[in-house]
Amino acid sequence: MANKTDNVEEGFLAKPARLKTWSNIEVEESYAPEDIRDQDYENNIGAPGRFPYTRGIFSKMYRGKLWTQRQQMGWGLPENANEQFKILIGQGATGLAWYRDLPTTLGLDPDHPLAHGSVGRVGVSFCCLEDMEKAMDGLPLDKISMALINASTTNVAILAAYVAAAEKRGFDLADLRGTLTNDPVFSYFCHSAEVNPLDFALKVVGDVIEYCSNNMPLWSTMYVSCFYNLRESGELTAPQEVAWGFAVAMEFIRAALSRGTDIDSFAPRASAFCQAGIDIFEEAAKFRAMRRMWAKMMRDKFKAKDSRSLQLKIAAQSTGSQLVGAQPLNNVIRVAYQLLGAVLGGAQSITCDTYLEPFCVPTPESSRLALGTHQILAHETSIPAVADPLGGSYYVEKLTDIIQAEAEKILDQIEEMGGFVAAIKNGFIQKELDRGVVDFQKEIENGERVVVGINKFAYPDEEDVIPGGLSEIPQDEIEIEAIKRVKSLRRNRNNNLVVNALNNLKEKAGKGENLLPAAIEAVKASATLEEIMNTTRAALGYSRDPFNMRDEVPPFK
Amino acid sequence: MSNRKIKALMSKIGLDGHDRGIRVVVSFLRDAGVEVVYIGRFQTPGSIVNTALQEDVDVIGISSLTGEYTALLPELMDNLKKNKIGDIPVVVGGIIPPKDIEFLRRLGVSEVFPAGSPVRKIVEHMISAGGEYQSKNAAYGPRGLPDFLPPLFQG
Repeated sequence: MANKTDNVEEGFLAKPARLKTWSNIEVEESYAPEDIRDQDYENNIGAPGRFPYTRGIFSKMYRGKLWTQRQQMGWGLPENANEQFKILIGQGATGLAWYRDLPTTLGLDPDHPLAHGSVGRVGVSFCCLEDMEKAMDGLPLDKISMALINASTTNVAILAAYVAAAEKRGFDLADLRGTLTNDPVFSYFCHSAEVNPLDFALKVVGDVIEYCSNNMPLWSTMYVSCFYNLRESGELTAPQEVAWGFAVAMEFIRAALSRGTDIDSFAPRASAFCQAGIDIFEEAAKFRAMRRMWAKMMRDKFKAKDSRSLQLKIAAQSTGSQLVGAQPLNNVIRVAYQLLGAVLGGAQSITCDTYLEPFCVPTPESSRLALGTHQILAHETSIPAVADPLGGSYYVEKLTDIIQAEAEKILDQIEEMGGFVAAIKNGFIQKELDRGVVDFQKEIENGERVVVGINKFAYPDEEDVIPGGLSEIPQDEIEIEAIKRVKSLRRNRNNNLVVNALNNLKEKAGKGENLLPAAIEAVKASATLEEIMNTTRAALGYSRDPFNMRDEVPPFK
Repeated sequence: MSNRKIKALMSKIGLDGHDRGIRVVVSFLRDAGVEVVYIGRFQTPGSIVNTALQEDVDVIGISSLTGEYTALLPELMDNLKKNKIGDIPVVVGGIIPPKDIEFLRRLGVSEVFPAGSPVRKIVEHMISAGGEYQSKNAAYGPRGLPDFLPPLFQG
């Protein structure tokens, strides 16, 4: 029987498990001036706040304003969500990411057959104006940055409801700040192709950009989620994350431009939603490469004139798939490293996951710790005082170039296929996604990639403690209540008004007009989410129900 | 005794869209010589059971990452029993906190694999459970009908 102390020498002499970055880029023992001798600081790196913005989009960076500490919460009924948002704001969050439950995200009312078991579980259940008002009750919508996360096509109803609720409370739309997931490619893969047929989704992208350009200048409407979500779905490398995200962004830009929208009218508010991974230097280099690529693409390819169009805003979230269920407290450390990479990389808004990410939605305790992660970095260290502190590092400058070169190669490959949508249609994207996750799993199972707690330094299950406990969500009660409410709404509202509003929406949709104004009217008449989505889908030639399970939402049977 | 390959039905359940894990398991299963029917997302207990019957599978693998198993697995197990295939092994993987593992076992689930489980182990279990089910039903098909074809013609 091996003596436990036999391990000590082995541990003492251990070498690092990884001599490559997370993305399998080989790294040298050390880097020196000659590795970056050919770099051109003036033209190709630039000072912080100067083209091509490699070192940051602002000259002061965090000295001017800290990154938005965007934390996420939200489950159950709208009034539960309202409570949770107030808790987060009380804890010091400066931004909110509001997740809807799966039925709401996909545009289904809580009584849709497929909604069973999902209502209120991983997000807030909401289906009408009253729900939105309850959820937003008492919140300073003009002071806090709100991120509405949902499937792209359902923005028609969700944004409409947010606007209607804000108007009712007397807010000027021009004062509302926030963003919404306006990324049909992300929705197509991660939510459902049925709910997000690409053409419908691209139309909604255009409508939302147009509506917000005219009415809500502080809203970021071009929020490309694919960087984070496709990487998560396919265990992509950092260069792939960059290339694919750019390819998707280019599709949106082209969609908007083809409607005659001026590039400088929406590009200044474009943002990329990316991963904040644990490999600190690779991540920081990735963000630097992204900014440089964006600036050049906007100026040279899309001829943007406004300097703000050239400055890519980066939103980042802790990479969820890097967080592990065994020894969950270790995730606190992982998230701290993830945050550091994003801050050193100059991101504008960052979400720290809680250590419970592998198990459940955030609890108040775990959420507080996630916020603390931000607060310690922001206020106990001097890191935010210097813009791009890694600038000039032989290693990081070299890595920035390497990631950019690799990303550009992949981007060219996708462009040659005809763009990202074409690459989806010819099967390339799905194949790469599948290959990525399988290869990654193989690396873990053959020990090539270490995951503490899983294939190394594992402890028996009994010794694993989940501090603070898990979220206790009475999902069955929530579902029953939500269904009761929607049925009662449909009975008690003025159904003539609803029918008129939906007919109006149908007409406007059929004429190819912007969907938002008519959707807002329908929301105000108490049409439900599913009714609005069904009407829009039917008017545009799709099946009413994306899942073909019920043709008419009662009482219109 | 039938010599045909193990046939596995792999499915998501409910509205959950996270499919990265199940795609990995499907790939590893195929590499191991298992015939996989992968029906993807937005399946209900009803649609899963229908496919299991139609495809005459030996083992069912369900992936659930957003907790709907609490409402939908009991229905699935019930449905399987009602359709006389209640003893098909059902394996559940995904985001499943420790206390729910007990809940699922009590429902009669064959094994639970929370996220992070080595995929190798999942494959081994599914092959063994599926093989056991297949041999138990070798003489009589899953619906109690005798299997008349001689082994040579069973493919």
